[in-house]
Amino acid sequence: MPVSEETTSRSDTDGTLSLVDCDVHPYYEPDELVEYLPEHYAEQQGYNVPTGMWTDPSGGFRDDAEPVGGGTPGSDPELLVEQALDGPGADYAMLNAGEVLALTVSPQAEYAHALARAYNEWFLDKWLDYDDRFIGSMIVAPQRPEKAANMIREFGDHPRIKQVLLGSATETPYGRPAYWPIYEACEEMGLPVAIHPGPEGMGMAPPNGGAGYSGTYFEKDSGVIDHYIGQITSMVAEGVFVEYPDLDFVLLEGGFTWVPTLLWRADKDWKSLRAEVPYLERPPSEYIIENCYFGTQPTPQPDDPSDLVDMMEMMEPEKTLLYCSDYPNWSSEALELPDLPEELESRIKADTAQELYDLPADPAELG
Amino acid sequence: MATRHVVCPADELQPGDRKIIEAGGLSVGVFNIDNEYYALNNVCPHQLAPLCEGDLTGLVTSEEVDAEKYEYERPGEIITCPWHNWEFDVKTGESVFNPHLRTRTYDVEVETAEDLDDEMLEELAEGDEESIPPCQKYGASLAGDEPPIETYDVAVEDEMVVVYV
Repeated sequence: MPVSEETTSRSDTDGTLSLVDCDVHPYYEPDELVEYLPEHYAEQQGYNVPTGMWTDPSGGFRDDAEPVGGGTPGSDPELLVEQALDGPGADYAMLNAGEVLALTVSPQAEYAHALARAYNEWFLDKWLDYDDRFIGSMIVAPQRPEKAANMIREFGDHPRIKQVLLGSATETPYGRPAYWPIYEACEEMGLPVAIHPGPEGMGMAPPNGGAGYSGTYFEKDSGVIDHYIGQITSMVAEGVFVEYPDLDFVLLEGGFTWVPTLLWRADKDWKSLRAEVPYLERPPSEYIIENCYFGTQPTPQPDDPSDLVDMMEMMEPEKTLLYCSDYPNWSSEALELPDLPEELESRIKADTAQELYDLPADPAELG
Repeated sequence: MATRHVVCPADELQPGDRKIIEAGGLSVGVFNIDNEYYALNNVCPHQLAPLCEGDLTGLVTSEEVDAEKYEYERPGEIITCPWHNWEFDVKTGESVFNPHLRTRTYDVEVETAEDLDDEMLEELAEGDEESIPPCQKYGASLAGDEPPIETYDVAVEDEMVVVYV
């Protein structure tokens, strides 16, 4: 298989990484996944995930990410390596599923489970070993938690599988104990569990916005934090991080400037309502800071960029923020981070991810 | 040095009861929990609400993340602030969620006339009439202007709850 020789950056000289991109999307043509489905599903269902309620009028992708000769942006490993790794000089790229994550809201639970397996097998075959600098998320169907847990144990020991990824929307909030077999398996395998937007409001999901269904894609995209606040609050309040203290929860592409608000609000409420959740051993904010991570993307752009740094400082950014480009989506903003103190920039761009995903300085050592 | 303030006759502060009094210029809540007595400054350290006017409740705890396993401990020993429902331990004045946060506590005693030494009696005699408890005004151990007009069970009437603020 082709392996890029252009491993980059400081990692060669001083053992530290300079850039870990925690959200890069490899895409597929749907038929590619169908080939990995059991025959009866391939024949009778094909590729079938809830979709279509909103159309992103931008088309969703950077125009320059389209492979020469056509095809979906992100579907050509060579171009992805060039644009997402070599170009920005990334030491690693975490490859995360895209639209197929909508299987998390499919009412066809068994089919969703089968499609998750199909994606994982396709992902391992086509992508994960293509470049030493690739690490990846496997996906599971939360509708079948026990089967999902078994799948995590099955795929999760691959040295480059570093995370379990779920859609940010699902039938019920992710803190519910029904989902706990997934977290138990993640903790056991040392894999963070992550969520990524996409299926909000679709399939079995509740309305995409807290106030109801959005009238435009713009409205949906701007309001996606409703789901993020809902999911993380559920995880904390239901006691997931008490039951699984070593579980890491990664919230991708939901932004992060809402986090200080939640830290303060949850602690305020907890002081008054502690008796309702007596198993919480610490203020809720501490579980968020210790167990949760947030992708930098989409990075808000206040008129005064220093405002953004101020907001970061309210959420212990040296522990909680992970650099993400979201390649090849249009909201990619590799260059949109404000000027940061050098040490903080290093934490956000590489160090925190290196620790979270246990990444060696030399990607070849991952095996 | 703490000053002695009479709260009420002991039989007027039964288990589960509280009284809020003015003592030394402060508002103080005095509580009877299973015939042990406790006193708290009637001020919540959060935003200075009258803490001792809150509800007396118990402490919900859980070793497990499972509501079926919740314990309801120490009923009547936790007071919740009337403004924001913060829980405080009546016995220590400490906040449940943060023991470093606390309201002041005071010593409470149940005393009879025999417990009073001469110095205390002098202080009482010099004090204003209102602060002198009935057992001092009418009890057998002190000469008052008015003789007792009725007799009561001395063992009960003689006991006074006092707080040292």
